[in-house]
Amino acid sequence: MAPSKVMKLSMTADRRDTQRRRTRLLRAAVWLRRLPRLPTIILGITFLAILIGPAIVPHDPLQPNPANVLEAPSASHWFGTDGFGMDVLSRVIAAARLDVGVAVAGVTVGALGGSILGATVAYTGGWIDAIVQKAIEVLQSFPLFLFALALFAALGDNTFNLVVVISAISLPWYVRVVRSVISPLREAEWVKALQNAGASGPRIVIWELLPNATSQVLGLFALSTGLAIQVIAALAFIGLGVQPPFPEWGSMINTGASFLLQGAWWVSTFPGVAVVLVVISLHSLSRFFDAETRGIG
Amino acid sequence: MAGSTAPELDEDGTAGPPPGADEPVTATRVDVFKYVARKVGSLVLVSLLVATLTFVVSRATADPSFLMVGQDATDEIIAARRAEMGLDQPMYRQWASYMADLVRGDLGLSRRTFAPVGGEILERLPATVELAGAALFLSLLVAIPAGIRAGLRPDGWIDRLVGSVAQLGAAIPNFWLGLMLIYFGFYWLGWFPAPTGRGLFSLESEAVTGIVTIDTLLARDWEAARESVRYLILPAVTLASGVMPPILNVTRNATVSVVNSAYYEAALSFGVSRRVVRMRLLLPNIAAPVINILAITIGFLMGGAVLVEVVFAWPGIGKYAVTAMDSSDYNPVLGVVLLASVTYVVVYQIADLITFAMDPRLRISR
Repeated sequence: MAPSKVMKLSMTADRRDTQRRRTRLLRAAVWLRRLPRLPTIILGITFLAILIGPAIVPHDPLQPNPANVLEAPSASHWFGTDGFGMDVLSRVIAAARLDVGVAVAGVTVGALGGSILGATVAYTGGWIDAIVQKAIEVLQSFPLFLFALALFAALGDNTFNLVVVISAISLPWYVRVVRSVISPLREAEWVKALQNAGASGPRIVIWELLPNATSQVLGLFALSTGLAIQVIAALAFIGLGVQPPFPEWGSMINTGASFLLQGAWWVSTFPGVAVVLVVISLHSLSRFFDAETRGIG
Repeated sequence: MAGSTAPELDEDGTAGPPPGADEPVTATRVDVFKYVARKVGSLVLVSLLVATLTFVVSRATADPSFLMVGQDATDEIIAARRAEMGLDQPMYRQWASYMADLVRGDLGLSRRTFAPVGGEILERLPATVELAGAALFLSLLVAIPAGIRAGLRPDGWIDRLVGSVAQLGAAIPNFWLGLMLIYFGFYWLGWFPAPTGRGLFSLESEAVTGIVTIDTLLARDWEAARESVRYLILPAVTLASGVMPPILNVTRNATVSVVNSAYYEAALSFGVSRRVVRMRLLLPNIAAPVINILAITIGFLMGGAVLVEVVFAWPGIGKYAVTAMDSSDYNPVLGVVLLASVTYVVVYQIADLITFAMDPRLRISR
């Protein structure tokens, strides 16, 4: 008697599970359809450029060609060539890997660290919370770009430190946002219930409290990745982080600057357009997440 | 603008929340002296912490004594040099002397020019102030009227246009925009001078403020003033494009929340004219958020001007920091960083005080 009943129970549970999984997939699909279309397409193309860009570029992005210096945009070189005869289109595509890659890597580290720190101090409260808040206030009183400059001065100038700098400037944002979302929950009944049931502090913070900030963190992630790309390009523009022959949008804009006054507009223009398109798409994605948050709340 | 409308807030009192029946009777006036004292205390504390952070960075950069003694220095020479520079002292002593130096305005020596950094920054500050001031003026001129227009009719065509412009402005890297403006304004159209900073003209009039445009105007040297403004326009527009979007958004959102409020609706339905409602209800109520974002903007301008200065060869503190950074000369960089962040902290607290003085609601603590 007993085994059959168990069987039956587990079967229904199983069916319910598949059903739940299906609804979840369906929901994900519906949600994907609701994403703003143009930004999603632009970001999709960027993602492709990161994945297979170097394999599909029309020319070698690092191959100088003295015979073809500063050639205007044409059928063989859609975006023209730069001062060394390197193909600008190929370089713009190849640069996505560094610009977006480093931005995402740095922001991910900052987001993970910042979210966990923010949720922890929100849950703990008291003097730890007060100290962290003051520390964030101090960090945020440095203008973003100058803060990056000072960090470079302290750490030294290389591409790895670019990741460190990006995570250091993004961390305070996440602490702030996550803390503000989770602080009001500290006194909630269900949190007290969990405490009384014997759930450990880290468990409550990471599995129960942190998920409440998911949509805010997603919105911030899109926004801060955009900002990070701008900072990376700006640093490279003044020669920090990435050195010139390496394809990177900011340093390409810098090398093109000297040719502008000879009328060769294409070297600087196209990498800048790439930055603008990617950043504006990230911003609009971020606004979409924010609207989502407000819709729920 | 905001300052002049402040008293009206007091007179009609419409800005305050409706006095609810459940309002605690214990509501008391905030002790103004205590409030100011707390603000000043917080200002000093944050500045101290900011300076501590730059101190940490300065000690994290490579030991400068090796660079200053030359190649065939013995250990004794290096040790003597380190003692002379105070680098053999324990950290807390070094920190204390760093702070003492800062209080005296001593930001150390530049490793490149061997001149005191404080003086070099002071020489370049007027150029940055001029550029930042012009950019701020331009963005206010556009952002406040446009933001109010957009907020009065949310989702109308002005709102959408303003929204798109703000989005674009926030996404465009301003060093790139600067280059594009140079290409079109100088190379293509020839309307603006080459990006050579303040230009080549030597200032014949006396330097009163150090701010070229104002000095030439004071000296009634119209020709030079015109020339000076010509050099100023492109960098100022470039810088303004970056700081305008947040001001635009804040003004717009503040306007929307006032327009949707019950007191605004009520005033209109009583037949108070639109003009009066806007002047006496709208402007005072959007003043606080706008002043707040202005403070943030002024703080940002000090650092945000860096790249614009580089692009236009503008002789300000941002270009100074970047040039120093190129030759691993870190004292100027840290000096500029310190100046910019302390400016931000001070301006932000002053803005808080202004809001406090303007808004009677803040003077009551419950």
